[in-house]
Amino acid sequence: MKALAIAGSNLRRFARERANVFFVLILPMLLILVLGSVFGRGFEPRVGLVAPETGDLTQALVDELEAHEGFALHRHSDRETVVRAVERGELEAGLILPPDYDAAIRAGDAVEIDFIARPGQASLSLRRTIDTLLAEQMMLPRIAAFAAAEGAAPFDQALARAATVTADTDGVHVESTVAGDSGISRRNWGQFDLGAQQQLMLFMFLTSLAGSAALVQTRRLGIARRMFATPTTVRTILLGEGLGRFGVALVQGVYIMLGTMVVFGVRWGDPLGAILIVLTFGLVGSGAAMLMGALFSNDQQAAPVGVFLGLGAAALGGCMLPLYVMELFAPAVWTAAHVMPHAWALEAFEVLAIHDGGVGDVLPFLGILLGYAAGFYVLAIWRLRAVLTR
Amino acid sequence: MLECRDLRKSFGELAAVDGVSFHIAAGETYGLLGPNGAGKTTSISMAVGLMQRDGGQVLVDGEPLDPGTTRLKAKIGLVPQDLALYPDLTARENLRFFGRLYDMPRARLSRRVDEVLEIIGLSDRANDRADTFSGGMKRRLNIGIGLLHAPRLLVLDEPTVGVDPQSRNAILESIEQLGSEGLAVLYTTHYMEEAERLCDRIGIIDRGQIKAEGTRRELAQILSQHDRVRLSATGPLHEGAEALRRIAGVQQVDVTDGAIDVLVEQAGNSLMAILSALEQSGVSITGVEIDEPNLEAVFLHLTGRSLRD
Ligand SMILES: Nc1ncnc2c1ncn2[C@@H]1O[C@H](COP(=O)(O)OP(=O)(O)OP(=O)(O)O)[C@@H](O)[C@H]1O
Ligand SMILES: [Mg+2]
Repeated sequence: MKALAIAGSNLRRFARERANVFFVLILPMLLILVLGSVFGRGFEPRVGLVAPETGDLTQALVDELEAHEGFALHRHSDRETVVRAVERGELEAGLILPPDYDAAIRAGDAVEIDFIARPGQASLSLRRTIDTLLAEQMMLPRIAAFAAAEGAAPFDQALARAATVTADTDGVHVESTVAGDSGISRRNWGQFDLGAQQQLMLFMFLTSLAGSAALVQTRRLGIARRMFATPTTVRTILLGEGLGRFGVALVQGVYIMLGTMVVFGVRWGDPLGAILIVLTFGLVGSGAAMLMGALFSNDQQAAPVGVFLGLGAAALGGCMLPLYVMELFAPAVWTAAHVMPHAWALEAFEVLAIHDGGVGDVLPFLGILLGYAAGFYVLAIWRLRAVLTR
Repeated sequence: MLECRDLRKSFGELAAVDGVSFHIAAGETYGLLGPNGAGKTTSISMAVGLMQRDGGQVLVDGEPLDPGTTRLKAKIGLVPQDLALYPDLTARENLRFFGRLYDMPRARLSRRVDEVLEIIGLSDRANDRADTFSGGMKRRLNIGIGLLHAPRLLVLDEPTVGVDPQSRNAILESIEQLGSEGLAVLYTTHYMEEAERLCDRIGIIDRGQIKAEGTRRELAQILSQHDRVRLSATGPLHEGAEALRRIAGVQQVDVTDGAIDVLVEQAGNSLMAILSALEQSGVSITGVEIDEPNLEAVFLHLTGRSLRD
């Protein structure tokens, strides 16, 4: 009851500050819009392709490459132009199919495909995308070639047969895609999906941390001590203040989710699961804010430091550079990212939105987030008790 | 109602409170009188269970009070020395907020808020934000919050600093009124007049220790064999003061602006010697006053310094 009174004052004071409305409600949507427009579809690697003009198998591969959303395909006539374009940075990579691609596959021979790229992590990622795709494409012809070599059936017949078989048991086909690097291919992310998830986490945490200044101010104004002079425990004081911040984070989280759903068509997956993630992440954010509020003694410092830490934590936690990129290029960073609660929340959203998971699938993530929240609150109470009574 | 035994608190090397003991009965107003830095606020903070003690004991109605004993705090109303209110909430919102922390039932809270607004003279500003108030109005609101839940023990830490004489009088009156209604009051101040007017008993505190304690009359008796002579004078006052210190029977000499205060055993015996000593030092005397000792003189005598720095 008292905690509610404290949370009520906290919220009332928050609402009286007009600028808060901008930071909590307007700014996140603006950023999602801007980032979604720039990065959502903007960064598309260009891949140059040299391929024979004829051949069913060639055509099938080219179709597949063209349909892939992870990069844009440009046809070129010879290897030389592709190499030069890659050197000049006009293409991120080049792919050269041998002139006898069809024939070699039919014969069951080894097929050599040239992959041309400048050294660097980005091309490595592209390389893996294309490897996966090629492996997938060559699976059926290889089966057919094997069948033909064993004399089971002529190549084309075997190929058609293999296609129908794998279409029936399409689990085999799909799993080969997923087991490759489904994370790399962003075919399942909508333009704003990932950005919205990242901004959701970033802003919920950032707003919370910046709000730590409110607790510092309450302390500096002597109000926290005065509350402690009433029959109110430090725990109640802190839970009340935390509840106020939690309320702000929750309003912001739900608002971003609903807003991006309506405006940008972002998919958040199972609604209950999504709400639970926002709830637990709100607890984490408010807990971190309370800890900061108990540690700092100057609210002029707490707000900017909160913003700095909020951005830093978000960056490390995968809210700027996506986790799948970290995982590919810098596994150590990816591991470090999981020190941040953001990473767990983002993975939980991925489970919901990409893998169509339900509440049960995100429970482990929710548990970890609750662990963070509990840890923050316990430390904050312990610290606040020390500073109030010294 | 409240008993403090041998309270101790050090900040690093500094023994801010160094063995302070006092007790306050229900209906009694007890004053802690001391200069800046004497240890009044520190003592009070321990007495109301806000501050961890280094030593000593606090009993409220015979029960030990520690920072963790939440329940007992309901009996205490605290008016801290530094304003403790939300500047961006209105007077009424501030009062209601703290009232809820005292678990006051809604109906009673609403009634008390109006009563208290009346007492502190802020009824017509009840719905204005505290940061639009003058310094004195904020002080009054600060006091009002302490009165709100009608505590059994009211603890006020220099509540009238910065309040205009009229409001100050109103505040002192309401405290007198509360005292007569059976409330125990712990009042710190460095204003002599307030202590003399309000307090049944006074503890004189300096450098973390209570130097003397008693009713105003008892304290004055400490100096009952003494008179205070105030000489308005011009000339080399400090040289004159030096000369006075050599006269038998003179206890203490203080030079203030345009005057020399002398504490003597018997004014009648020493006055002639005093006047001639001053004349010899080249000091010309423009007026002589002889007083019975007041608290200020007692204070000076006990601590060797004046109340106000
Ligand atoms: N938190 C603190 N840290 C360090 N020293 C402190 C602290 N609080 C008080 N002190 C010191 O303890 C001594 C007593 O301070 P206290 O506030 O109790 O004095 P006071 O009698 O209330 O003075 P005033 O009339 O100025 O309010 C002072 O020397 C002060 O500097
Ligand atoms: Mg003080």
